[in-house]
Amino acid sequence: MEHTSTLERVLRGIALGLVVTFFMFPILWIILMSFQTNETILRIPPSLVFEPTLDNYRALITGELKTQAASLKIDFMKNLGNSVLLSTVSVALALLLGMPAAYAFARYRFRGSEDIAFTLLSFRFAPPLLVLLPLSLYFQQIGLADTYLGLIWVYQLISLPLILWIVRSYFEDISPDIEHAYRIAGHSWFSTFRKIALPLAGPGIAAAGLLAFVFSWNNFIFALVLASADKQPVTVGALAFVTASGIQYGQIAASIVLSIAPTLALALYAQRYLVEGLSLGAVKG
Amino acid sequence: MSDVILSLSHVDKFFGNPSVGVHAVQDFSMDVKRGEIIALLGSSGCGKTSTLRMIAGFESVSRGAIELNGRAIHTLPPAQRGVAMAFEGYALYPPLTVRDNIGFALRSAGTRDVAEQVTAVAKMLNIQDILDRYPSSISSGQQQRVSLARALIRKADLHLLDEPMGQLEPQLRTLLRGRIKHFMKAQGLSTILVTHDQTEAIALADRIAVMEGGILQQYDTAENIKNYPTNLFTGTFIGEPPMNVFNAAMRAHENRLQFHLNTETMLDYPANVFSDEVQSILRNVEQVIIGVRPYIVTRTQGQGLPVRVETNQWIGDQSLIITRLAEQTLVMIEHKQSTLRAGETITIELDPDHIHIFDAQNGKALVHGREHTS
Amino acid sequence: MPCLRLIDVDKSYKGEKILDRFNLQVNDGETLVIFGPSGGGKTVLLRMISGMIEPDAGRIMRDDDDITDLEPQYRNMGMAFQNFALFPHMTAFENIASPLRAHKKTNQEITTAVLSIAALLKIDHVLSHLPRALSNGQKQRTALARALVNAPSLLLLDDPLRNVDAKLRFEMRLELPRLLAQQGTTVIYVTQDYKEAMALADRIAVVRDGHIIQLANPQEIYHTPADVEVARLFGDPPINLFEIVPRKDNKTTLIDLAGHTIELKKAKAGLDRPCLLGLRPEVLSLAKKDTPRAIPITIEAKTPLNEKTVILAVTEQGQELLISRPSQEPDQVNERAYLTFEPEQALLFDQASGENLQNNLHQESSS
Repeated sequence: MEHTSTLERVLRGIALGLVVTFFMFPILWIILMSFQTNETILRIPPSLVFEPTLDNYRALITGELKTQAASLKIDFMKNLGNSVLLSTVSVALALLLGMPAAYAFARYRFRGSEDIAFTLLSFRFAPPLLVLLPLSLYFQQIGLADTYLGLIWVYQLISLPLILWIVRSYFEDISPDIEHAYRIAGHSWFSTFRKIALPLAGPGIAAAGLLAFVFSWNNFIFALVLASADKQPVTVGALAFVTASGIQYGQIAASIVLSIAPTLALALYAQRYLVEGLSLGAVKG
Repeated sequence: MSDVILSLSHVDKFFGNPSVGVHAVQDFSMDVKRGEIIALLGSSGCGKTSTLRMIAGFESVSRGAIELNGRAIHTLPPAQRGVAMAFEGYALYPPLTVRDNIGFALRSAGTRDVAEQVTAVAKMLNIQDILDRYPSSISSGQQQRVSLARALIRKADLHLLDEPMGQLEPQLRTLLRGRIKHFMKAQGLSTILVTHDQTEAIALADRIAVMEGGILQQYDTAENIKNYPTNLFTGTFIGEPPMNVFNAAMRAHENRLQFHLNTETMLDYPANVFSDEVQSILRNVEQVIIGVRPYIVTRTQGQGLPVRVETNQWIGDQSLIITRLAEQTLVMIEHKQSTLRAGETITIELDPDHIHIFDAQNGKALVHGREHTS
Repeated sequence: MPCLRLIDVDKSYKGEKILDRFNLQVNDGETLVIFGPSGGGKTVLLRMISGMIEPDAGRIMRDDDDITDLEPQYRNMGMAFQNFALFPHMTAFENIASPLRAHKKTNQEITTAVLSIAALLKIDHVLSHLPRALSNGQKQRTALARALVNAPSLLLLDDPLRNVDAKLRFEMRLELPRLLAQQGTTVIYVTQDYKEAMALADRIAVVRDGHIIQLANPQEIYHTPADVEVARLFGDPPINLFEIVPRKDNKTTLIDLAGHTIELKKAKAGLDRPCLLGLRPEVLSLAKKDTPRAIPITIEAKTPLNEKTVILAVTEQGQELLISRPSQEPDQVNERAYLTFEPEQALLFDQASGENLQNNLHQESSS
């Protein structure tokens, strides 16, 4: 009765295939688009048969956007660099601040600890646009507008609550007795945090860091409002492809492929942690 | 044959592919008589729970047949098998009170005096005070008793109890064992209980099926398993304090049989205390394992084997005396408060009538006392 | 010589008093067992001694030093936990070595010390394993080795045998006293198992509701329990209790038990008020034939328990009682039997307060 019949196996394969196609289709289509010219993309009816071209990628990398009308300068590679810089630094900062905070929230019950933790989480609830208007005014006054520092600071709204809540639940899952045992063995508080709590919460920290990185990378609105062209990440930079002479589908597709490549690679590499972190967040967060 | 209620014949259970998967139960055959209480005993992973689940119908039978009351049941769905079960995970219905949980099956069967029966069984299990509470508001020990009550109250051809008292305090267990055994005997219930606790098995069961590695090791009364274990495993598994075991080298002389525990210590018996058959077995082996139950170790004055007392643990009505004999541990038991102190040396004697001798290679029992194994 | 003293220690959680002006003195070299039902404050007590929890009030003294505010890493104690609390990302060897590393021992010293304690606990063959690859018994031995390796002067054992199966627990109960004696340390051992308590303890502190109910050696606890609750907690099968009202007749005290009048010699207190007569299952004798003072009973079930036979019986009045006999004694009785006991072996408790009346009497006469 446990032996699966051939029919069952075939049906299961078909079902899985359908699901995978359904979810992967947009990405697949975009990858195909990135190797086509605007003309082949806009063919009606669309066809899977075309002559692949690397023109789109060449244009992005050299920064020369050629349209029928004119040749246009774009700075896609600069945008990509900005994305890497903003996401990496803001996640690193959020980890630096978030891990000790998460540990404190997990281990110590002090007056208002739940309230503070919840307030931090509630930053995620606020519609970004609502926050942005006053924020952009303040930033201009104190000189943070259009600086990397300002952006990284605002990015903490995205990454800090995420890291705090995911890592906190990982710390809570570690039996306090394990830390007690290490203290009684003769180790200080800090070395217990470093040698016991951090390694044991490692998967959670990795997952939270990855998620925060993905969310920071995908952010659009903060950078759109608070930064000028030379500080903007790829998400905003892609707007440049909507030109006066039309929308450059081929280049948009290629830029999408280039911009999702790092996060996709990272996510595939650390898939296990990511799923673990996500499901934990779903239960507890 | 009407006197056999349940019979399992050559039952196998595979998980996964037979060639690579787990062979959880192997060629298991067992008969249960009407009104008999049987314990399936073993440590975790021995196959006892798989066997129980196959009887209940929650697990398919890979090979072999199960007959209950004369009809083959191993292909029937659980509900049609006529079996009542108390689950290790309790499985109570959360929206029903304890009273309704216990009486549920009876009521749906249209029994008349449900209320009286529920009260009686609840009283037996000391849960009469929580009958109107809900499962979520009672302790796990109470939930376990509710689950047990629900199974015991049902009219069924066979009652299956999975670790029925695992969550209870030891002293409550001792009391309930007596009451439950009385109840099951008075009602004539045929019962199979699964447990890892040999005390539970010995206390409740008429016969015990000792399992290990998916194989039925021995199926007999507690008394017989204790006195005639088929191998070292059953011998040491049954009994608390457990059987003392010693590795020994066998030396057979013309009229003496000697068991050398080490270079200095040996058990030395005149050959003629053993039957001829036993002698011939012992003269043909070299390495043996000697099993000695704690209660047959007797103290002697002067003569005998010297042992050094290591600790004397008095637990109220018994003293366990832990000694060293030939660099190995020998435990003896006295049913009073012993005055022995750590460090004292005493002499003891091991009655050849009651020692067990196992083959050191495969653990098979060779000799029980003076007589042969069978 | 006191090794550790707790003076008027208070601890509350969420407004609930866990320990209430708790006083305890642990003597050098002894094994003190803290016994009691769960939630009685035992675990909090150990964590306070080890320094993981601060008391709300009161002092903790080590020899002559006040260690109440000393951080755990400076207390030089060893502790083993109920849930083992092994470091999951370190091998058994590194787990055991951890206290030595904290004290900056050389690698040579560490290896020697770990190997010798591991050999003693019979886990030398699994030292390279991570905790998840160890069986429960091996985990438990690793945790013990870690607690012992640095030769602490005070060893705290928090119900260390609770999470191992019955067989292993029994083996460890036999092995532990020798092990502890070899180390020669003072031990505070927390347990809920009265057999462990009696087998290991020099003294037992019975703790309930944040108080010590009785502090005495095992013999005294068993024979003269402070109250009916203590009597009930020690002994399996548990003590039989009968509701009675003792009355005076000439110079003796009489009680009515199961339709018979029985003379109690010792009891002088507790006259004319509801009392509980406590009879341990092993002091009851059964006979086939009726004698003048014997109580007729019906035997309902016999269930063997650790080389004893426990007999469940009911009196003609429907009162249940448990009798225990050594299993090896020839089994003479079936169904109907007559019960006798020596009145000196009975215990008498006040029904309202639970207090042991003989104890009370003893104290009154000695003061």
